[in-house]
Amino acid sequence: MESRRKRVLIAEDNPALSRVLEFNLTKGGFDATVAPNGLVAWQHATKEHFDAIITDQQMPEMTGVELCQQIRSLPRYEKTPIVMLTAKYLEMELPKIRDELNLSATFPKPFSPQRVVHEVQQLLVV
Amino acid sequence: MPRLNLQRGLPRRVVACYLFFCLAAICWLVVGVVLTTHAAFSTRAQNASLTQLARAAAAIEMDVVRHGQQHLQQLVCRAQAEGDFSYCAIVGLDGKFLAHSNAGKIGKTAVDVSGERVQRGDAEQVSYADERSQTVREYRLPLTAEKERIGALQAATVEPGHWDFVRQIANSAPLAVFAPLLLIAVGAVVLSRQTRPLANIEDHLRHVAQSPLAEPIDVAKHRPRTAAAIGWNRIAETIDQLRQNDPGDIDSRVARLARDNQSEGAQSLLMHLPDGIAVTDAQGQITQANPALAAMLGQGTNCDALVGSRVEKHLPGEDTGQVLAEFAAAQSQQRSVVAEITYKANGEDRCLRVARYPRRQASDALRGYLWNIRDITQQKLAEQMRDQFIGAATHELRTPLANIKAYAETLAAMDEPDLESQKEFCNTINSEATRLARFVDDILSISSMEAGSLAVERQAVETKRLLSEVVEKVEPLMKQKSLAFDVSMPAKLPELRVDKDKIVVTLVNLLGNAAKYTPDGGHVRLRVQTHDDHLQIDVEDTGFGIATDELPSVFEKFFRSSDKRVLEQSGTGLGLALAREVIRLHGGDITATSEINKGSTFSVTLPLSAR
Repeated sequence: MESRRKRVLIAEDNPALSRVLEFNLTKGGFDATVAPNGLVAWQHATKEHFDAIITDQQMPEMTGVELCQQIRSLPRYEKTPIVMLTAKYLEMELPKIRDELNLSATFPKPFSPQRVVHEVQQLLVV
Repeated sequence: MPRLNLQRGLPRRVVACYLFFCLAAICWLVVGVVLTTHAAFSTRAQNASLTQLARAAAAIEMDVVRHGQQHLQQLVCRAQAEGDFSYCAIVGLDGKFLAHSNAGKIGKTAVDVSGERVQRGDAEQVSYADERSQTVREYRLPLTAEKERIGALQAATVEPGHWDFVRQIANSAPLAVFAPLLLIAVGAVVLSRQTRPLANIEDHLRHVAQSPLAEPIDVAKHRPRTAAAIGWNRIAETIDQLRQNDPGDIDSRVARLARDNQSEGAQSLLMHLPDGIAVTDAQGQITQANPALAAMLGQGTNCDALVGSRVEKHLPGEDTGQVLAEFAAAQSQQRSVVAEITYKANGEDRCLRVARYPRRQASDALRGYLWNIRDITQQKLAEQMRDQFIGAATHELRTPLANIKAYAETLAAMDEPDLESQKEFCNTINSEATRLARFVDDILSISSMEAGSLAVERQAVETKRLLSEVVEKVEPLMKQKSLAFDVSMPAKLPELRVDKDKIVVTLVNLLGNAAKYTPDGGHVRLRVQTHDDHLQIDVEDTGFGIATDELPSVFEKFFRSSDKRVLEQSGTGLGLALAREVIRLHGGDITATSEINKGSTFSVTLPLSAR
């Protein structure tokens, strides 16, 4: 039995979407923290430690892409699973984005929150 | 027969033909006259001979009755002389000559000659040809004395043949034959003189036709005796004058004239094409260009100024090096090439599509190039706007869809019924569906606007109520972003006749934009003023503002600012375009003023007299 719940950071500017993600992650046994944009998420990530990060791609202040690049530049987040949600790219373009930014998984909007939670669980088990 | 020289001119050939047919007619006439005259002459001679013979026979019969046969020889000789016979004789019943103009033949047996026999009354006529081919006619007439036959009177004439006859009439021929010949000859001379100018002109034209194309045409004048000659001389004078004015170039001008006539249609087409067109020779020097090309290459409309130079030299833009290298490579391989050049003109980005095609002769040798330059700035802008719209529309569609799907799935997977969460989730799904519907509505409105079928249904509206409805709708937005929201309006406002729903949507849209593009804690103001004939509604904010170069475009469809802060917000670029269309349909107008980082003001005017 694990001593503590795994912590997940959600960076998403759409409050409705971050709310439903938070709901599902909590239900899935995670401790979720919500940030309304990339910059706030970056501040959270530098102050605290998260086991996994879920980020939207298009956000004010700092985009998901910038956030990923910044986070990956920190040695402690080098191997941390990052999942990106995007409304911009075509599904067939996603593998390319994933490789470029060294992401663990990408989901095109609309997506299934349960599958996202499941994906995070899988990533953390490995 | 005169020899017809087909190399001679037409007038000469006409004269020669005339002479030939005249001579043929004369010959035919002469032969006819000889034949008919000879026949008539022969008939007359035969009748005369028969009469003479009958008269001699009667004299002999009478003398025999009176005096017996003692004067026979004497009578025969007289008859021969009178009848101009070649001989005259009396043949006895025993077949021997009783008397003969040639006394030596008396007592000799008469020879019965063979030939054509004809019975003419009592007389028998035998015609035959003698050893000299002369026609001999021998006549035999029976002699009777006191009803007793005593023998036959025989005489012969020698008729001259056709040739002898011709020789006979030749004495009177000169007048009959040579006079017409003389007349014909005179006619030929007159005809020849009359047709000589035509013959000369024809000779000249043939000479021109046979001379090489490059050689100048030699035109000499003729004696002005006929209208044709005078006309020819005028042509010659005109060519002389042209040559004096423009020596040495006459032939190229004639060639150009011919070419101009042929390609007048193509030329006019070229001059009016909106695409820039240039034709160059194999070395790349422009030989022909149209005004559109001159305008695109910054030469105004003076396309002649381009002739003789190279298209590459005039291409605008600073970094055309790569494009020019591409064109040079294509030139060495003589293939077509297409490139796009972007450059700045009067501070605006412009784009040209430059295409060059080789022109080949029938022998496949390179004749030159055809350039086609098209200004595709508008096309590029339209493409850019379309891409922007598709990007924005995708985001606008996917975001509410993502929420609806996420909440619906979460709701469905809920094990323990939690009424509060269920309600919250359903509300979210509802509001996201509304957002999606609004977007679809925007798209439809824009599409109606494009099709010109967006209509306003005017009704009397209390202005205060309309404005309070607007304020009510935007207040939550202002609160959400902690914006200070002021509304100022006169105590009394006149009634408006407008399409209330559309005006409300438009004003909510303007205020929604103000809220969206103003940072938290900013200020938004709605100010209403009445003027003589119109109502002015200003929406002011202390937001990001709009850059000066983008300000003229804000009301264009699908336009979105390139400001990063604006792009972070969702939007389709349709709101302001739709707002302007609605206000204009009401007979009003909408304008925008802005200062970057200070804020923007959108002013709507609505006419009060609108009915």
